[in-house]
Amino acid sequence: MVGSKRIPWYLLSPTIVILLIVGLLPFIYVLIVSFYNWNPLGKSDEMTFIAGDNFRKLVFDEDFLLSVWRSIKYAFTTLFFEFIIGFLLALSLRESFPFRPFFRIVHTLPLVVAPIVVGSIFKLFTVSGFGPLPHFLKEWFGYSFNYGRDAEQAFWMIVFMDIWHWTPFVTLTLLAGLSALPKDPYESAKMDGANGIQIFFHITLPMMIPVLLVVVFIRLMDSLKAVDEIWMLTSGGPGVETRLAGIHIWRSVFESRFYGYGSAMSIFLLYITIVICWLLYVVMTSKQNESNA
Amino acid sequence: MKKLFLSVFASVTALTAVAGGHDAFWKSAGQPYKGVTLQGVTENTPPGQFVSEVLAKDFEKLTGIKVRLETTSWDQMYDKAIKDMEANTGIYDFVYIEQDIIYSYLDRDFLVNISEGLAANPKLKAPNVDFADFTTFIDYFKNGEGDVFGVPMEAFIKVYLYRKDLFENTEAKAAFRARYGYGLEPAKTFGQYRDNAEFFTKFCADQGMDCWGTTVQGHTGHPASTYELLETIFPSFGVYNWGINMDNYQASVENGGQLNGGRAKAALRFWTGLLDFAPPEALQSTWSEVGASFAAGRAAQGWVYGENAAWIATDAERSRVVGNVGVSLPPTAEGVMMQAASGNGYIGYFDGGAFGIPHSSKNKEATMLWLQYLGQNEVQADWAIAGGRITHKATYSDPKVVAVDAKADAYFTLMRDTGYLFAGAPPYPFHGAGRAAIDPFIFKALAGELTPEEALDQAAAAVDELMKELGYAK
Repeated sequence: MVGSKRIPWYLLSPTIVILLIVGLLPFIYVLIVSFYNWNPLGKSDEMTFIAGDNFRKLVFDEDFLLSVWRSIKYAFTTLFFEFIIGFLLALSLRESFPFRPFFRIVHTLPLVVAPIVVGSIFKLFTVSGFGPLPHFLKEWFGYSFNYGRDAEQAFWMIVFMDIWHWTPFVTLTLLAGLSALPKDPYESAKMDGANGIQIFFHITLPMMIPVLLVVVFIRLMDSLKAVDEIWMLTSGGPGVETRLAGIHIWRSVFESRFYGYGSAMSIFLLYITIVICWLLYVVMTSKQNESNA
Repeated sequence: MKKLFLSVFASVTALTAVAGGHDAFWKSAGQPYKGVTLQGVTENTPPGQFVSEVLAKDFEKLTGIKVRLETTSWDQMYDKAIKDMEANTGIYDFVYIEQDIIYSYLDRDFLVNISEGLAANPKLKAPNVDFADFTTFIDYFKNGEGDVFGVPMEAFIKVYLYRKDLFENTEAKAAFRARYGYGLEPAKTFGQYRDNAEFFTKFCADQGMDCWGTTVQGHTGHPASTYELLETIFPSFGVYNWGINMDNYQASVENGGQLNGGRAKAALRFWTGLLDFAPPEALQSTWSEVGASFAAGRAAQGWVYGENAAWIATDAERSRVVGNVGVSLPPTAEGVMMQAASGNGYIGYFDGGAFGIPHSSKNKEATMLWLQYLGQNEVQADWAIAGGRITHKATYSDPKVVAVDAKADAYFTLMRDTGYLFAGAPPYPFHGAGRAAIDPFIFKALAGELTPEEALDQAAAAVDELMKELGYAK
């Protein structure tokens, strides 16, 4: 009997060991390093314990806080558009129409492209002087497009790139959720005379909240730590206008070699991510509870 | 006749014997390491591509030692190499060491002492490789005792390139004189440079040509732009060592530096002012894009890394300006040329790098063989033509190089004769951190978010603060 209780643990043990090695140990290491002053390019490359000084410093570090603010702005902007477009596409792709399987496949293609390649594609597409986008914007609308100089254009360019890349993920996940919804509530609503909009807001949306939570959390976490696509397209420029927190931390750690401070920034970003996700969870589940009540 | 025949026969036999002897050395020295795969990483540049596509294959045929060289972007290259050496993982057997980073690497004891390694293992010493055959560029890769830590694979100067066809255009000459009151010619002063840039931007537009007055390596998010300012524009204005005082490692004028001094501000103002006359891609251009823009015929003049000069001038498959490339020394401010000639300054950037062996390499001996293979006189000429780089004294007089030199407006001769006027980066162990502290302000100045004066005042303050933090400030 005792032996049978242990069997699940034996079966789980490889997964637990792997999670410990690739997940928990690096996190603990980063947490420990965040309490040290450590820069191998410094006059002394020794690690010096400085307790919470790195965390105290980052609270007053305007450059870092601005990069966090940019990340939050970027994450919520992309999430908003991906959510709206993704939901509309999921609702459309649920309906039956000619060539639906073909559209589903085409729509999913961006998902299989590596982020670094997405960045390269957009760079080729948008670089001033050579790219077709600036060329045609100038040719057809007289609009001057140069994200190397214009901060607004650079921001919206990275937002657009993320929407292009990740909306299919939102669509696919929501489509799976929509397909799994029970049909009875819809039939009852129709018999009661509810119109499409009423059905959407009073039946579809409340029932989809668990799926929406998953989508929102995954996309939010991804956007808050975005680096590679943006690195390829703008490298954080013009100036520091697209230097999101991930890029700021990367530069601090791998260019300037502030390992201790960089670790503290990483922990802080993780904390911010958890807090935002928790707040969203509370807001969304309270809505669900209200509608259930 | 008989005597002539005999002497020719004897010479050919002797040469064949020497060549054959060298082949025999590589075969026998490589025998114990046959089947070993050496992994390396370098920047994706013409010299790096030649190593990967030609020399690595030749070496494998001779020795049976495989060489896999990753050619990647500049930032990726450093990221991969440094992470590997810091973590001691031993992924790479040889890494590219740019001249400016060697001091950090030596400071952190990343690299194997190649001189010591060869002295300890005479069987590995190639008979036809002598570090004395290299140009003085190899000195950057030596320690205080003269031991070599990197075998130079490329060295070049950042030159002033101009379009001969445009500068010699009769209509352009007349129009220039009518507008500016003096003759059109490649720039020797910054005033001339600006006038040329302004003139050709308008001239090209009037002629319906996709061409602008100058290149600017002005990416607003990539360190390439900071490097162009610190290592090319600053020295030609008489601001050396990034404007940092070498005695107390401070950058601001009030602390003894020059980074926010009058000359530095004039340099940045001049440089950002050139954006009005640069192709639209300038603000997204690193060193690679500048070379590509010039090769595409989109600029009348510019500062271009020498690794690109030879192919831009001679490779018709990649360049639209073959036969029309002029090469010259970059313009300088008054007095700078004299300072450089007397050894008290420099006029521009002497760039290059070497391959070194990380301590973490698992195949140090085989890698020493490989690096010596790259250090042979015999492989230098073709490599120089493909990559515009010269690391050996004898390469300058090689007939193949001389022929290309003639087509490339004597670029190689210019490098040989005036190389001493240029200098590499200053020996800062904090190189990456120092540059990264300056980056944002240069990016902002290029994007027009800060005036040149504001940008350099803030950059100098940031460097001073960083030096305190890193413990260098005195």
